[in-house]
Amino acid sequence: MGHRHSSGSNRWGLPDLGIGVGLRTVHFAHILTHHPRVDWFEVLSENFMDTGGRPLHVLDQVAERYPVALHGVSLSIGSTDPLDREYLRKLKGLAARTRARWVSDHLCWTGVSGRNVHDLLPMPYTEEALRHTASRVRAVSEVLERPLVLENPSSYVEFAASTMTEWEFLSRLAEEADCGLLLDVNNVYVSSFNHGFDPRAYILGIPADRVVQYHVAGHTHKGTHIVDTHSDHAIAEVWDLYRLAWRRTGPAATLYEWDEDIPAFDVLHEEALKARAHREEPVAAGTAHGA
Amino acid sequence: MALEVPLGRLQRWLQEVVVHPGSAEEAVAAPAARAFVPRRRVGEVILPSATLRPEQRLGIYHGMYLLRMEEALESDYPALKHFLGDDGFRSLVAAYVRAHPSRSYSLNFLGRHLPDFMRDAPGLRRSAFCHDLARLEQAVAEVFDAPEEPALRAEEIAAVPETAWESARLVPIAAFRLLGFRYPVNAYVQSVRDLDHGHPALRRRDTWVAVYRREYAVWRQDLDRAGHRLLSDIAAGERLGAAVTAALRRGRGRRPSAKDLFRWFRGWMGAGMFRSVEIG
Repeated sequence: MGHRHSSGSNRWGLPDLGIGVGLRTVHFAHILTHHPRVDWFEVLSENFMDTGGRPLHVLDQVAERYPVALHGVSLSIGSTDPLDREYLRKLKGLAARTRARWVSDHLCWTGVSGRNVHDLLPMPYTEEALRHTASRVRAVSEVLERPLVLENPSSYVEFAASTMTEWEFLSRLAEEADCGLLLDVNNVYVSSFNHGFDPRAYILGIPADRVVQYHVAGHTHKGTHIVDTHSDHAIAEVWDLYRLAWRRTGPAATLYEWDEDIPAFDVLHEEALKARAHREEPVAAGTAHGA
Repeated sequence: MALEVPLGRLQRWLQEVVVHPGSAEEAVAAPAARAFVPRRRVGEVILPSATLRPEQRLGIYHGMYLLRMEEALESDYPALKHFLGDDGFRSLVAAYVRAHPSRSYSLNFLGRHLPDFMRDAPGLRRSAFCHDLARLEQAVAEVFDAPEEPALRAEEIAAVPETAWESARLVPIAAFRLLGFRYPVNAYVQSVRDLDHGHPALRRRDTWVAVYRREYAVWRQDLDRAGHRLLSDIAAGERLGAAVTAALRRGRGRRPSAKDLFRWFRGWMGAGMFRSVEIG
C-alpha cells in the first residue's frame, strides 16, 4: 500500500496506519477490481456482524490486503441499559476475523428500555455519567481484551446539568477507564458552532497521548446549527483543527468519512489524501500553544 | 438552574421525545415524556443555543429519527416503497416503528415484522398485494445475508449410486427460500428494478418463487404450482422417490412429465440450491 506504518505516538504504540477511508458498499467492486493504493480501511462493525453474504465476502478480501479498524455505532456505551453481551461477542469475533488494529465507537447512547433509536444521543457531562460510562468502558475493554477507543460525537443539545465540558469529560473518562480516543475534528467544529465554545480549547484540552485515530469529514450548515452529515468536502476550519491537533498528538491514523451522496472512490480518496499536506503545513500563529 | 434528573430517567425522557410521532413541541408535552420531565421544566434540562430554543434543539434529533427508520426500511423494501409512493411509505414506516421499534443493535432486523404488519394494517390500500410484496422482499433480504455454504458439486452428484437416489434427501443451502403468493409480485419487483413503469396487472393470480443465492448474488426464480410443490417437499426433507411419486400423482393442475422433472432437477442443481445429498 502507499504508506509504511509507523508506530503512533499514543501510549499503546498503536500504529499510525496512514490515511484511510471507510469501506462502503458502493465502492466494493472498485476496491476488489483495482486494489487502490489506500493505506487502510475503516469498517462499520454492525454492517458485517450478521451477514454471511457478499459484504462479509468482500470484507474478508479487504482485510487480507489492507489494515482494518472497526468502528461501531451501536455499542451504546453511555446507556443505562445493560451492555449487550451478544453484540460484544460478535464484535470481538469480527475483530479477530479481520485482525482489526483497534475497535472504536462513540461517546453516546443509542437507546434505553430495550429500544434502539439508532442515533448517537448525547450524554450529560456529570460525575454520575462519568462514573457510569467509565465502568462500562472498562467492562467492554475487558471483553474485547484491548482498550476501547471512543470518538467524540457531534451534538445538538446541551444539558443544563452538565458540570464539565465535553473535552474535560472525555479526558477524565479516558484516564479513569484507560481507553483510547478517536478525535473527530469535524465533530469538534460542529459541536463548537452548535454550543458556542472555542474548538481550539477542545483540541488543546484532549490528552494527546490517548489519541489513536482521527476522523475528518464534511458537514451541512443549516444556518441556525450545523449537522454532521458526512456529505461533503471538509471546510478549511476543520482542516485547521486537524493540523492543530496533529501537532499535539504526532502521527495517528487518519480517516476521511463520507457517508451521504458518496462520490466515486477516487474522489473520496483524493479528499482523504489532503490530510497529508495538512500534516506538513505549519499551524497558524497562536493556535498551537497551550498544549 | 438545572433540574436534577438521574441519568436513567433523563435517557428515557429524551428517547420518548425522539420517537414521538408528532412534532418536538408535542413530544415534550406528551404524557410519555412528561412522566420523566414536566413540560414547563424542559428549559431546566436542555439549554438554549444562541439561535435555537430547547425544543428546537430537541427537534433536530426528533426529526432525524423517522428519516433514519425510513432509509433502513427502504433499503430492504424498495419495490414496496415504489408501490406506496413516498408519502404512503413514510406513513407506513411511522405506523410500523410505533408498533415494532428497533430492539436490536442492527437496523438489518428492523423490517422483520413488516410483512405481517402490512397484512393487518388498517386503511392500507391493496394490503394483500403489499403483504405478498413485502414477503418477497423480506426473503430477498434474508437470503442476501444468510450464511454462505458451498453448493453441491457435479462430481458429488455423479458419485451417488443410481440405486440410492430413490431414498436420498437433498438438503437446501441456508440462502434458499420458497414462497407462494396470491399476486404476481415477482414480476412487479422485476419491473421496478428494470425501471419499467408498465407494471404487471395487479389482478389476483397465484404465483410461486424460489429465492436463492449463488456466488453472492441473489436470484429469484419463478416456479409453477407443481414445481413449487415438489421443491417444497424436497426442501422439507422428503425422500426423492416419495416426493417425485407424489408430484406425478397430484391431481390439481398440470401433471409434470418426466421431461419436466428432468428439466427442473437440472435447473435446481445447476442453480446451486442444494448443499448436500443424504443417502440412506
